[in-house]
Amino acid sequence: MTSAVVGSNLLGDLLSRPRPAEWASLREAAERRLAGRELPTTSDEDWKYTDLKALAELSSGPALKAAVDISSYLLPEMVGTRQVFVNGHHAPHASCSSAVPAGVRFFPMSTASEACHALGTVGEGAARDLFEELNTARFVDGAVILVPKNLKVALPLHLLFITKAEAPTVVFPRVLIVLERGAELELVEEHHGEGAYLSCPVVEIRVAEGAILHHERVQREDPEAFHLGTLKAEVAKGGQYHSRTLTFGARLSRQQPWVRLAEGAGTTLDGLALLDGHQVADTHSFILHAEPHGTSHQLHKCIVDGRARAIFNGQIRVAPYAQGTDAKQQSRNLLLSESARVDTKPQLEIDADDVKCSHGATVGALDPEELFYLQSRGLNADDARNLLTYGFAADVLTHIPVASLRRTLRHLVMARTQADSLGDLS
Amino acid sequence: MLSIKNLTASINGTPVLKGINLEIKAGEIHAIMGPNGSGKSTLGKVLAGHPSYEVTGGEVLFEGKNLFDLEPDARARAGIFMGFQHPIEVPGVSNASFLRLAYNKKAEAEGREELDPLEFDDFIHEKIKLVAMKEEFLDRSLNEGFSGGEKKRNEILQMAVLEPKLAILDELDSGLDIDALRVLGEAVNNLQQPDRALLIITHFPRILETIQPQFVHVLSGGRILKSAGKELALELEDRGYDWVLEEAAAGGAR
Repeated sequence: MTSAVVGSNLLGDLLSRPRPAEWASLREAAERRLAGRELPTTSDEDWKYTDLKALAELSSGPALKAAVDISSYLLPEMVGTRQVFVNGHHAPHASCSSAVPAGVRFFPMSTASEACHALGTVGEGAARDLFEELNTARFVDGAVILVPKNLKVALPLHLLFITKAEAPTVVFPRVLIVLERGAELELVEEHHGEGAYLSCPVVEIRVAEGAILHHERVQREDPEAFHLGTLKAEVAKGGQYHSRTLTFGARLSRQQPWVRLAEGAGTTLDGLALLDGHQVADTHSFILHAEPHGTSHQLHKCIVDGRARAIFNGQIRVAPYAQGTDAKQQSRNLLLSESARVDTKPQLEIDADDVKCSHGATVGALDPEELFYLQSRGLNADDARNLLTYGFAADVLTHIPVASLRRTLRHLVMARTQADSLGDLS
Repeated sequence: MLSIKNLTASINGTPVLKGINLEIKAGEIHAIMGPNGSGKSTLGKVLAGHPSYEVTGGEVLFEGKNLFDLEPDARARAGIFMGFQHPIEVPGVSNASFLRLAYNKKAEAEGREELDPLEFDDFIHEKIKLVAMKEEFLDRSLNEGFSGGEKKRNEILQMAVLEPKLAILDELDSGLDIDALRVLGEAVNNLQQPDRALLIITHFPRILETIQPQFVHVLSGGRILKSAGKELALELEDRGYDWVLEEAAAGGAR
């Protein structure tokens, strides 16, 4: 396969970067597994609709430290609870943890590697993606969040990953989150950038018994960038992991959330992608109901305009022993142009008999009945269309707990759906 | 105000309205009644401009202007309002911002001043009292997860906000309990003025106890078979629709 040969230059470039000193055995193991692997091609079933050829042409210079102006990314609720990483390096002057509540540990991995013993252990036994392995082999720094037993963190935490690529490069954001028993946390994770680059974030999450994590994930990479992310979460008995992944940027992006639910655990895995031009956004999710009485709700929405393309592959596996599972999955897609395209595929594998599982997928244009309803209230056809498009997307934003983030994203969605002429809809 | 002459309309090539004639003057309340499938809801939708229906003949003048020259939104801004039998849910758009948007579009068309969110807040709080709506329904997404009754309440709230010249209310009573029906019926009565008119489309005469029409028309098979005063509604309550149909059949087409 010729494209793989081209791509292997990228892999070779990356592995020729010096291996950081910490977590040597983790990195060596990843390197061993990487030996002989090549960039996936569209003949791999998992990458059938997402062509990485353009990625193979990306050369990878070193990811250097850089200064950035973060003022436009700051959110008032979280000015004193933020950690900022630029090009994979911690940016101490841009970070501020003065308001992080006592007991919570929120810091760069480089300053306390001994606290990161859970690193690389989440989702053991699950398939490891090539880009996850690369991250493990070469990530420079990352964020650790540890919340002790029964602590309900009052302020949300803010994680900012910014890439500033003067020349094409590859960055490896890394996050480890551990919530001990009964802990509660809200986290906002954002990815921004400038230039042509590839960002391969890996997020590992452990939610212990009865703990609750609310996780907002915002991807606003440069329109020339690639974003190939992996998230793995293990949720213990009665714990809850709720996430919302909002995709706006990157020419090509892929999100691969993997969640394992223990007895009575619950997850919400919502997503929104707003695409136009030649953008490609792919979501391959996997929810494992490993034990009885787990709950999973997944609502994935895409608005696709221009020649853009959205891919959704939602796997849900209910293990034989996982009786009483309640799994709901919905993929809803709005096509705004003739050339836009969506490929959506639910994959339910159910090996228990006493379960409630439902899934549905819709792909289409706006509903004429809805348009007529709004027009009958005096909105012209364009305004009605824009309002419905906005509402389709804003629906996913309604329950974002951080008000300033909700407002920012609503305005972003208003601008992208041409609904900004309709006044303040928030 | 509204003059319908020999109106015919079809959906997917099937004729539904087969020659409707109706005059509605300012200050009047008309009721269109009829069995299911008679075409009465179609009449409302055709007047409001529903895209699925094709007008195949006849004319409708609204305040002297040809209604069919106007898009549905232009009809709304000209003063026509249709209360939907099944209002549509719009997730992601709050009820309050939708109401404000609709209000401001109409104000803009009429050259009146638009209201900013704070001014509108005061305005809408007066209006929700009229329909006894709980405040929380303003912050929720438009009609999303509303019960059938709450949706109807919201329709009348929209009517109160837009203050149309002609309101067409399609099966307002469906999904409403007796108390809600009375509240909404009285709200509609409060909105009725000498320069406005109402067209009530209903299967059951119940709603006409609160909103009392001067004229009652029985629509069946796409035609108005009988027109009379409000006493006709009472007679229909006692006797059903069959006798009207038989009478019409015996008398031949009118």
